[in-house]
Amino acid sequence: MPARVDGQDLAIWRAASGQTHVWGDRCPHRGMRLSRGFVRGETLACIYHGWQYGNDGGCTQIPAHPNLVPPKTICATTYACAEYSGVIWVALQTTTQVCRSFPGQAAVRSLAIKASAEKVMEYFSGADTGVVCVGGTNDIALALQPIDATHCTAHALASVSADRKEVSRWLESQRRSIELDLA
Amino acid sequence: MILYDYVLSASCYKVRLMAALLDIPITLKAVNFHPEKQHKSPEMLRLNAAGTLPVLVDGDVILVQSADMLRHLVTPKNAGWLGDNPAQTEKWLDFASRLNASLGMARLHDVLMFDADIDQVRCDGVAQLRQLEEWLTEQRFDGMTFLTGAAPTIADIACFPNAALAEDGGVSLDPYPSIRLWMRAIRSLPGFIEMPGIHRLHELSPAPARPE
Repeated sequence: MPARVDGQDLAIWRAASGQTHVWGDRCPHRGMRLSRGFVRGETLACIYHGWQYGNDGGCTQIPAHPNLVPPKTICATTYACAEYSGVIWVALQTTTQVCRSFPGQAAVRSLAIKASAEKVMEYFSGADTGVVCVGGTNDIALALQPIDATHCTAHALASVSADRKEVSRWLESQRRSIELDLA
Repeated sequence: MILYDYVLSASCYKVRLMAALLDIPITLKAVNFHPEKQHKSPEMLRLNAAGTLPVLVDGDVILVQSADMLRHLVTPKNAGWLGDNPAQTEKWLDFASRLNASLGMARLHDVLMFDADIDQVRCDGVAQLRQLEEWLTEQRFDGMTFLTGAAPTIADIACFPNAALAEDGGVSLDPYPSIRLWMRAIRSLPGFIEMPGIHRLHELSPAPARPE
């Protein structure tokens, strides 16, 4: 699936083994978005010419040249990623930062907001940590994915016992007022 | 049954897709919609005074609304495709015609150079995609994959093409994970067929064998 973080287009995919990968959203062959491709087993194939890439991002197969062993230099851009409580975290630069975990909370839904992550943080008077802890009876937390100066995505987590529809509707109403604030 | 058809039309594709899913043979008559405007020719206007596509002719029956064609294709044997709750199905068929006026028009503007208030139709389209995303998310929480329940209905087939082709009209589908899951479910249905801009899920078929 596609995602954009800090202006970087990314392709996120899960191999059959369950491992998640976050790569640059660009096939090294013709620049097609890899997020438009498809997963078979442990490889991601580009939708354009079917070039296949394995777990390390290296090209494993070029269908138009079936007997060619693709050179090691044909490689998708890979990023470090980790998955906690149903949230996939990616590091665009090398980092020693430890991913935030959410004990007792589970992912509910992701909501695109037409406002920067900073504005959303400001709206909730949160610290500039990328995570807003809203709390309340549903124990809601928002992991904010910065996209660009006017867009972000809020990945909402809530208590495992929360009513997910209630959380979802609350998110919709918060988005309306955030976007109205900026209009 | 004869379908007067244009391969790039989202509304014609609705009917082709429904017939394919129900395994009903239809005869396609290609109409040169663009650039020849053959749907406005005297012969076509005799069939459909409104001068629109698709047109479905089944014996004496001539249908000019795609929603009517979807209903017409469903037989008692396949009645599940009408849904358990007719009001719900109708509601989403109506939503489909609004998608056609927004995302469908944005696509006609971008692809076939139609005159349109492009900012307005895109803006309407985004508002509708947000509604669709919210509803499909709640459906997912209830274990329902499709618009009106666990099984697909004509409402899903009516809404699917213009939603899936949104990017042809300059509207991104990236922000809508529940819509993408729903579209995957439709594209996974047995008998699913493609149209230009909506490809099948290659991962559902085995990898082609490598030559010796």
